[in-house]
Amino acid sequence: MSLTDSTPAAAQRFVRADGPEKVTGSGRYAADLELPGMLHAAFRYADMAPARLAGIDTSKAAAMPGVLAVMTAADVPDLRYSPGIADRKLFATDMVRFEGEILAAVAATTPAIAAAAAAAIEVSYESLPAVTDIETALDPAAPLVHPEWADYQVDEGIVREGNLACFSSIERGDAEAAMHEAHTVVTSRYVADGCHAVPIEPRAVAAQWEGNKVTIWSSTQVPFDARAGVCETLQMPTNRVRIIVPHLGGGFGGKCGFHYEAHVAALARAARRPVKLVFSRAEEFLAPDRRREGMVFELTSALDADGRLQARTGTVLIDCGAYVADAAFFPQLAAMHAVGPYQVPNIKIDASLIYTNHQPSGSVRAPTAPQACWAVESHTDELAAAAGLDPVEFRRLNAVDSRTVGPTGQTYEEIGLQECIDAATNAVSYGDELAEDEAIGVAIGWWPTFVSPAGAFLKMDEDGSVQILTGAQECGTGAVMTLRQLAADELGIDPERIEMIYQDTAAAPFGPGATGSQTLVNNGRAVIAGAKQIADQLRELAADQLEAAADDIVLIDGIAHVAGSPTAAVAIDDLAATAAGGELLLGHGSDPFPEPPEAVGTTCVGDQGLTAWVGPQFSCHAVRIRLDRDTGVVRVLDVGAAHDSGTIINPAGALGQVHGAVMMGIGQALTEGTVYDEHGHQRNADLLEYKLQTIADVPHIHTSFIEPPTNNAGPRGAKGLAEAPNVATAAAISNGLAKLIGTPVRMLPMTAERVWDTIGSAHDQVAAATEGHGK
Amino acid sequence: MNEKLSYQVTVNGVAFDVDADRDANLLSLLRDQVGLTGTKQGCDDCECGACMVLVDGRPVNSCSYLAVQTGGRDVTTIEGLAEDDELHPIQQAMLDHAGVQCGFCTPGMIMSAHALLETTPKPSIEEIRIGLSGNLCRCTGYQSILNAIGSAANAAD
Repeated sequence: MSLTDSTPAAAQRFVRADGPEKVTGSGRYAADLELPGMLHAAFRYADMAPARLAGIDTSKAAAMPGVLAVMTAADVPDLRYSPGIADRKLFATDMVRFEGEILAAVAATTPAIAAAAAAAIEVSYESLPAVTDIETALDPAAPLVHPEWADYQVDEGIVREGNLACFSSIERGDAEAAMHEAHTVVTSRYVADGCHAVPIEPRAVAAQWEGNKVTIWSSTQVPFDARAGVCETLQMPTNRVRIIVPHLGGGFGGKCGFHYEAHVAALARAARRPVKLVFSRAEEFLAPDRRREGMVFELTSALDADGRLQARTGTVLIDCGAYVADAAFFPQLAAMHAVGPYQVPNIKIDASLIYTNHQPSGSVRAPTAPQACWAVESHTDELAAAAGLDPVEFRRLNAVDSRTVGPTGQTYEEIGLQECIDAATNAVSYGDELAEDEAIGVAIGWWPTFVSPAGAFLKMDEDGSVQILTGAQECGTGAVMTLRQLAADELGIDPERIEMIYQDTAAAPFGPGATGSQTLVNNGRAVIAGAKQIADQLRELAADQLEAAADDIVLIDGIAHVAGSPTAAVAIDDLAATAAGGELLLGHGSDPFPEPPEAVGTTCVGDQGLTAWVGPQFSCHAVRIRLDRDTGVVRVLDVGAAHDSGTIINPAGALGQVHGAVMMGIGQALTEGTVYDEHGHQRNADLLEYKLQTIADVPHIHTSFIEPPTNNAGPRGAKGLAEAPNVATAAAISNGLAKLIGTPVRMLPMTAERVWDTIGSAHDQVAAATEGHGK
Repeated sequence: MNEKLSYQVTVNGVAFDVDADRDANLLSLLRDQVGLTGTKQGCDDCECGACMVLVDGRPVNSCSYLAVQTGGRDVTTIEGLAEDDELHPIQQAMLDHAGVQCGFCTPGMIMSAHALLETTPKPSIEEIRIGLSGNLCRCTGYQSILNAIGSAANAAD
């Protein structure tokens, strides 16, 4: 362990190049853009859903002064898109499946005229029965959310039928047989509501055509995915679509995927003017194909007489919402989290992604993991109690460790989970006496490192300064800034001498974007490879001048010198000037990514390749809480957050990720949950009724990074960090609450009302038991 | 049509003659007429604080403040804090303590902090918590912002 919150700032080598413009207000976000002649867009959403569309009449809207374009499905190519399962259209045609479904779009000279015109579009509907309960949606009698599901194009290997959008199972050993032979068997049920990413910036998109080429400024986390979506839906080649991302005001997964870039581009083409769309907060809650999925868990686990896990079976239901968005990989990921980082020899988990008439689910920071960790770790404390073991001891006994075999047959190299348990519990003095109505809950979690293709271009100009052109995207984490550190270390120069071009698909090679905690792992690999090419060129130039072998040249502190002879040296700036008169200093990189390890002995239906993980990340959160028994209000006082995310290259950035994710986790635990009416419409789509944590709620967060040597991961053994700290917080709070109440709160979020109800139920049970005993 | 009203408003020390709808809010006046986009729209109903500015030194959510009420008054936005290339101490502290990630809440957060330190130059941690509780941040978890504002206060004379 080498880094904690108390590491001096001077040792936290973090360079946020975009800082000055963000604190002065001069940085431009997508909504800040103005172009000559720019129009304003507004969408017409479904007035009722689900419903069959009987007709759309746009004539009155189109005739309004100031309206330059009105579009419906008739004005764009008629095709379905979406990764995995092509179930989506830009505009509704015959059916609207959720309240945020777009029927039409308007471009007008002012936002007010656009909104008035959108409202003037006349739509007739035939109401349909809503599917809102994932536990009954698979009944044969349930209405189909997509009656034409069998006609959709799907990726090979996806298992589906009717409202079952996607199914995946993980099986290893013989769980049923192990259950019969077990000493103790515990069954638990947990239900998690959906919730939201809630970036503080509502999304905005602007588009401008020049000839047959379009430039789109979008608040997207994934500009290359956005480009692919535009190209697919408007049927254009990639080299005529340019996506530029101005400063991005947060995403947390909510701005991943392809959303409204094609709508705005199509409007701008039809209006022959630039068009800008800016979402209201309500739209940001209701419309995007992105929210954290509601889930239902039924888990049964078996222990031997010593409290060792022998088997787990489980059923996981996931609310897909009306469209699959990017959620086709959720079932297997959820199944992995329904097992957790434990040594369980026999498992059988079935996970189903189920269509409903809710807003579509999609990747929000560690999709499926906080809910599943909450359920599994709450279940784990029930197991520990059944075994008569302290919850921490139970985890030490059963959690995976270096060179042990995980639940899906992956053998781990050096990992730091057991050390995470030590660090997190020590940080909050686990075991010491606590004040009345206080408790410490502990939970462990895990998360994969995702690998993907990525490229980078680098150039060193005549003054020795460098530009990196990368497909990485900055969404606030600062991960792209870390790329400067990697390049600087290869080139032997100060990172301040390096500028980044990271938000333009026309300039940079492909990158996955700010998604899946991938920037450092994948773009970092590409930047190092590109920087090495320039470093090799510099060594050749220095070798010529210093009459030495290129292999003996060391690049450090702006100087190229002969190894062992610091005085035999030349300034790197001088080498750059020399190169500018001849062969230019250019680098490009895109190295192959690490191979996934093997899952030995595991079989799957609907396999999605997620049963064995490159660079698995581990965490333990230990949370001290205080409960007000009269109101059910929970206060989080202290959080010990310990993480094995491999090597930490940017400590200040890493701490920011942990602190932010813990606060998001506290919100998900206690206050953040979507409330629906019987039609599947959201009842709390605003920040007054959907409560985020504020600065008044901040607990003491004690962070530790465990850094075991990691081979099969990103640069220098880094695994990525943006999602992993969001996994275990809600689970730890749940376990603290269960200690205080005597039983878990089996619904997420664990709102004051639900906590209060659970206290009452527990009290009633105790009273009934006492009464029965007295008789 | 919405009735237009003409009045003068001073923003960051510069007087502007404006001609705005009677029901225009201060946020739209600043962004669309004055041309300063550092003040952000995050929610439109006083819940997030991204649009915080100072009117005669007092913090207001500009999304829910009628523009016409600023006629003849002084408005300070995030663009008005730095002097030439010298960052305001709160701005510098936010950078030094990694209180900035995506940056969208940052202008409003800094304006609230500025208002707090004007009235309470040496705030306790609790006073900072209360003073900034109307400003939502989704990135940082707030700890670095608490550190930054505390540091800026301590560094002041």
